[in-house]
Amino acid sequence: MSIALQLLFTGIGIGAVYALVALGFVLIYRATNVVNFAQGQFAMLGAFGMVITTEGLGLPYWLGILLTLAAMALFGALFNLGVYYPLRHRSFLPVVISTIGASILLTNGVLATYGPEPATLPGLTDLPGLNFGGLFLDSQYLAIIAITLVLVVLQYLFFERTLLGKKLQATSQDKEMASLLGIPVAGMIMLTFVYSAVLGGIAGILVAPILFVSVGLGAQIALKAFAASIIGGFGDIPGAIAGGLAIGVIETFGAFYISVPYKDAYAFVLLFAFLLLRPQGLFGEKVSQKA
Amino acid sequence: MSLLELREVDAAYGAVQALRGVSLSVARGEIVALLGANGAGKSTTLRAISGLLRPAGGTILFDGQPIGGLHPERVVRLGIAHVPEGRRVFPGLSVRENILLGASNRRASRAEMAQDASAMFALFPDLVRFADAPGWTLSGGQQQMLALARGLMAKPTLLLLDEPSLGLAPLIVQQVFRIIRQIRETGTTVLLVEQNARVALSIADRGYVLETGRLAVSGAPAELWNNEEVRAAYLGGRVAKAG
Repeated sequence: MSIALQLLFTGIGIGAVYALVALGFVLIYRATNVVNFAQGQFAMLGAFGMVITTEGLGLPYWLGILLTLAAMALFGALFNLGVYYPLRHRSFLPVVISTIGASILLTNGVLATYGPEPATLPGLTDLPGLNFGGLFLDSQYLAIIAITLVLVVLQYLFFERTLLGKKLQATSQDKEMASLLGIPVAGMIMLTFVYSAVLGGIAGILVAPILFVSVGLGAQIALKAFAASIIGGFGDIPGAIAGGLAIGVIETFGAFYISVPYKDAYAFVLLFAFLLLRPQGLFGEKVSQKA
Repeated sequence: MSLLELREVDAAYGAVQALRGVSLSVARGEIVALLGANGAGKSTTLRAISGLLRPAGGTILFDGQPIGGLHPERVVRLGIAHVPEGRRVFPGLSVRENILLGASNRRASRAEMAQDASAMFALFPDLVRFADAPGWTLSGGQQQMLALARGLMAKPTLLLLDEPSLGLAPLIVQQVFRIIRQIRETGTTVLLVEQNARVALSIADRGYVLETGRLAVSGAPAELWNNEEVRAAYLGGRVAKAG
């Protein structure tokens, strides 16, 4: 029993990271109706930002986080201007190909400048973690879960309680109508890219101490996060969070009880099951039910 | 001087010419009906005015200023609100939120916006009990009321209405048009696109009839309605004596 609880805790921790990246997928999808396949690279960049600022430049951890997040915000803006904006009037496919191209460019750019050697990063705190009977709560996993929880609550309050949040929702529901009302649509999309890049950066910063920081990190997280957003019902915010957590928990249990080498496959078993049995996802409605 | 003036406006969707040299004017305080069959260019004319479609040629003047080709976000800030065909209510936002977002074109304090929203609920009392319901749950008539309320929240000088009667029961159509009349009484100018010529001409001061992108005729409502040739050709009325 205590082993199951231990696995659950670990699974939720890693699942929270998938959920943050999945949120980035969903927010950009809702604002622009395209899938940003470079979302995982945002997390990779965040992790490398931490390695460069703290290990490379020797800055304190908190300053590394601030600088990395500021750089991610700027990067999100540039990404919007360079990858999405010029193609905004085109159909789904050109934009998607553009984000795939950006993803390849980012991976190889980091590979060329930093090299293939994986780096390691110390955890957010030196605290040893908590012991509850037989259950050990690692401090980094606790930090991941707590920060994700706070982010999700803040994001919910922002979208549901502020006028700016409502304008973002209006933009994602009907861009033409939003612009007729005087809502600056291009600005709303810019804001979405900046926020999604910061979210990806946070995911990277949080996950860096528990995984190796390498150029493969982005693809590894992105595939799981993408599966998470499909399981949740693509475009659904609570669904992306639930999907991320579900994948984290299932792969942790699968690795322990079935086989470690197949760890990365469990997410896709779950994905296939959903695509076959419930293609609209956990919370997605059937297209016919949409008004 | 006219509030709105179109001079020889051309517009196209790709290779398809939608408007050819359309000229019309709307004076301050008027209700002007823009009539014609399906595909005549009525909606295109409104889209060119509000900035959804960049005109290929000609001039659009609002209050003497050229506005042709301006972005819709800028046009609505000048005081032109466009309530497009199909209501376009935000389905996932509540009725109240839909209404509040109508004020996005002007700098209003939260208190001011709440006050204006209350005024809208007073004008459209049917919406009150749906204030917190999501937009997609409304019936067609309620969505039309909501679309009107959202358009009025912009405090427009000129209101562009596209097919407000479409798909509504006759009783609701009467209600909508009574409100349009009320809107004009508060000093808002209205350019009204309608397929339902009889209803539109019943409240309009003047009318224009479009035919395949060209202006065919214009005149006073009675003149247009009683001209049997016009009615048969453009307004979908039969040549038989109207009862």
